[in-house]
Amino acid sequence: MKLEKVIAVRTSKTIYRDGKYAIKVFDEGYSKADILNEALNIARVEETGLSIPGVEEVTKIDGKWAIVTDYAEGKTIAQLMAEDPDKKDEYLERFVDIQMEIHSKTAPMLNKLKDKMKRKISQTGLDATTRYELDSRLESMPKHNKLCHGDFNPTNVVISKDGESYSILDWAHATQGNASADAARTYLLFWLSGDIDSAEKYLNLFCRKSDTAKQYVQKWLPIVAASQSVKGKPEEKEFLMHWVNVVEYE
Amino acid sequence: MNTKMNFEIVENAETFERMLARVKEAQKIYASYTQEQVDKIFRAAAMAANQQRIPLAKMAVEETGMGVVEDKVIKNHYAAEYIYNAYKDTKTCGVVEEDPAYGIKKIAEPIGVIAAVIPTTNPTSTAIFKTLLALKTRNGIIISPHPRAKKCTIEAAKVVLEAAVKAGAPEGLFGWIDVPSLELTNTLMAEADIILATGGPGMVKAAYSSGTPALGVGAGNTPAIIDDTADVILAVNSIIHSKTFDNGMICASEQSVIVLEKVYKQVKDEFQKRGCYFLNKAETEKVRKTIIINGALNAKIVGQKAHTIAALAGVNVPEETKIIIGEVESVDISEEFAHEKLSPVLAMYKAKNFDDAVEKAEHLIADGGYGHTASLYIHVSEKEKMAKHQAAMKTCRILVNTPSSQGGIGDLYNFKLSPSLTLGCGSWGGNSVSENVGVKHLINIKTVAERRENMLWFRVPEKVYFKKGCMPVALDELKTEYNKKKAFIVTDSFLYKNGYTKPITDKLDEMGIQYSCFWDVQPDPTLANALAGTERIRSFEPDVIIALGGGSAMDAAKIMWVLYEHPDADFESMAMDFMDIRKRIYKFPKMGEKAMMVAIPTSSGTGSEVTPFAIITDEKTGTKWPLADYELLPNMAIVDVDNMMSQPKGLTSASGIDVMTHAVEAYVSIMATQFTDGLALKAIKAVFDYLPSAYENGANDPIAREKMAEASCMAGMAFANAFLGLNHSMAHKLGAYHHLPHGVANALLLTEVIRYNAADVPTKMGTFSQYQYPHAKERYIEAARFAGIQGKNDDEVFENFIKALEELKDKIGIKKTIKEYGVDEKYFLETLDEMVENAFNDQCTGANPRYPLMSEIKEIYLKCYYGK
Repeated sequence: MKLEKVIAVRTSKTIYRDGKYAIKVFDEGYSKADILNEALNIARVEETGLSIPGVEEVTKIDGKWAIVTDYAEGKTIAQLMAEDPDKKDEYLERFVDIQMEIHSKTAPMLNKLKDKMKRKISQTGLDATTRYELDSRLESMPKHNKLCHGDFNPTNVVISKDGESYSILDWAHATQGNASADAARTYLLFWLSGDIDSAEKYLNLFCRKSDTAKQYVQKWLPIVAASQSVKGKPEEKEFLMHWVNVVEYE
Repeated sequence: MNTKMNFEIVENAETFERMLARVKEAQKIYASYTQEQVDKIFRAAAMAANQQRIPLAKMAVEETGMGVVEDKVIKNHYAAEYIYNAYKDTKTCGVVEEDPAYGIKKIAEPIGVIAAVIPTTNPTSTAIFKTLLALKTRNGIIISPHPRAKKCTIEAAKVVLEAAVKAGAPEGLFGWIDVPSLELTNTLMAEADIILATGGPGMVKAAYSSGTPALGVGAGNTPAIIDDTADVILAVNSIIHSKTFDNGMICASEQSVIVLEKVYKQVKDEFQKRGCYFLNKAETEKVRKTIIINGALNAKIVGQKAHTIAALAGVNVPEETKIIIGEVESVDISEEFAHEKLSPVLAMYKAKNFDDAVEKAEHLIADGGYGHTASLYIHVSEKEKMAKHQAAMKTCRILVNTPSSQGGIGDLYNFKLSPSLTLGCGSWGGNSVSENVGVKHLINIKTVAERRENMLWFRVPEKVYFKKGCMPVALDELKTEYNKKKAFIVTDSFLYKNGYTKPITDKLDEMGIQYSCFWDVQPDPTLANALAGTERIRSFEPDVIIALGGGSAMDAAKIMWVLYEHPDADFESMAMDFMDIRKRIYKFPKMGEKAMMVAIPTSSGTGSEVTPFAIITDEKTGTKWPLADYELLPNMAIVDVDNMMSQPKGLTSASGIDVMTHAVEAYVSIMATQFTDGLALKAIKAVFDYLPSAYENGANDPIAREKMAEASCMAGMAFANAFLGLNHSMAHKLGAYHHLPHGVANALLLTEVIRYNAADVPTKMGTFSQYQYPHAKERYIEAARFAGIQGKNDDEVFENFIKALEELKDKIGIKKTIKEYGVDEKYFLETLDEMVENAFNDQCTGANPRYPLMSEIKEIYLKCYYGK
């Protein structure tokens, strides 16, 4: 494996390309369990038949853990949107269709979304009252078993050159659970990226296409906002807290 | 406050389980307390809570940062005083209701341990309310407070508990979770005996899905309509009073006001005059985004002052502003103002008319207030509008001209609405109760029901005249007693042509009563036949109907009587089968409004002159409608043997054995009484003694004739009240399918049915409270002995009874088997199953002492066909 061509740098990981492979190299100190879990997630999602870069190898390179996957040729939807703003709506529609394709799959061995949310709420460091509200809210949400990406945003979908096929990247946060929670996450990610216009468009599109009531997706927002806050970007904190701090009373 | 009770801190599963064990133990002891002890404790606890109402209110506001101290004082005061007052005299321990006559007793028992989920909006008052209810109902209670209000909630519970313990309650009766978490709340809900959940929809849902019975309440979104007939000043000020109460945190509080166009300006002016602030367009938008975040209520505005909320939104309103009002148009959930706001923020809508207003209110309730509360301001003379509103609102409380916060909790603005801080929202709100929750929801009622016997009766015609030659004397009364003007005689052509009506018409002439006669009654009369007679009756308009003849003429006369009195009579309903004649679905119409009925039998058989029965055949469908109701009883029966002297032999035989069957069946019926027994026994004996001679000698033995005439009437009275049994059920169908005379059909089945009924171990017995155990055999033996039949033991008497009946049949020329009457074997077998099912379904089957299986009926039929 040659680590020469850097294609992306993220917090505590760097992604290289070597021919037909993409190599995600994790910084030292990154949780081994999380890395192995990510590889396992990919393997499990591969079994659903979705078009994703398959995992080829989990290895150590220069003492660092790395996941080797197939390289997805093409451009991400984020790139395409930036290059051709006139076609943004068209791409958004494609984006939603792909997400719904994900939600049509099941992966019974994946972690459960509600368990993950529950764990995240406990890690937020929020006061007892707010956590109690969030826990009650989470508990009342329906348990589903749809495949959820967990970080579905335009940078994680690659469209092939001819525009025919696509490939979905980054399954580190994949779970099985309620599709509306996954949509709420995507909506939040649009907001955090500052593209509020697209956020609203996305939500309306998702609700219309999947025949979901908007309130139903919105009910997840305080929960996904709380879990997002665990990642702890300080500049996002206040915004996230604004979304978290709601109540459901008598 | 300085409550002294100290219990181990409950913060995890382990400490929770210890606390739960303690509460359970204490509750077990408390469950044995008497009403006096409980009432004393209830009073002491209510007093203590009341005394601490101000400190508790202060604590609640301080801890939660929501609401108004002075209003919370009222809520605490209310929870202590109104709840005490409402239930102080309610019986909640032991026997709470008893009716010895009916043998029914209701005993109240505690449920066990209540899981009480208490919200932040009304923490202390709800704690007082629920703990007082627990004390009154001898339940233990464990409180799951909201983390934001845990201190004041627990303190309120402690105040109540300390006073209760001082007054004698077991010490560990209440428990609470000191460090609330969803896990512990869930454990509590799973382990308690009942859940009283007040809280958000999430909590209520958790309660219902815990598997423990739950009383939960849900969200409200009360819309208040102000009609153009309303007293606007009263309406606006009531809404302000309600909406500002505890800064709008009562769940029944108005969230929107829908004002009719005509009074919109007047309403707006009044709101403004009384210190409410109307937001302009830009301000409305700012407040929108502040109160609701992504469709959910912003926690920061709950229970805050109007000024504070406006400031949060960057809107400047006067410090003392009572309510901020947004004038909005959409009632859809996408409109932030259409939500429940739990704060002094109100939406105001303009309605084109009342229908539009109701439609808006319906939509707002659907947005998030199903089952809770709706409010209407209107002039109370507008009954139609009020009815429309009541019909449209899917809410369990509909308040009229009443501030909804104070009105919904009951006993403040209406004194028949139970006071409560837990308001049921019915199935619309996903709740198990739709009323205000009170003590009755927290007790189990044991109902002790002792066996009682049905009320029975003895009903016969008002006048039954008998003795040879009595007819003209009895008919005198038509003039002297009743002053009748027009008589209508119903009879058959044989009797008419042979001059049987003459003594009657002579008498009528003598009395100057006009008469007319229908003499075309056919055997087994049809509906067409009866209708023909009815035509005549209608045009003649008699005030008395005289039926002369055998069963057919008397039945036909009864039917004509019904059609005359009630031209639109529906036979299908009238003939509807019943289990208990007094509980039947169909209410038989009142008879006798137009004419009285006099029945004069000419054969000794049916007893129809004294029975409430009549059978008519619909010739179009072949259906037989058996009518039964005491309304059909003739008013006068005249049993004069002069009318019966020359009955032909065949008739004497068939109708005579019919009398025996009536008497025997009435005697063993599950509805037999002492009153009917005497009549039945005498009739049985008379038939044994006199039928053979009446058959042999006819008019030459007038004594036998007379005894048979009376026996027929007595048996009629017996079965008019005790009803018949399987013998008749089967005979009805046998007669109908194979054209056997009714009496003969009965006779053919008689001894086989007796043997069948006499079983000591019947497959099933008849269901009737009085019928305690299978005793048909004893009854047959009693009847036999009364008739003079001997034997050295019961079994022999029984066998001799059967033998005597067979001999009697023999003497009067009844053949042995159905086959001997020329019934075709193939046809008999072909129709057998159908006949069996119809016999089983016959109205007479119900009174039979043995409840028959269809297979058993079939077997009896077969035995009677072949004679073994």
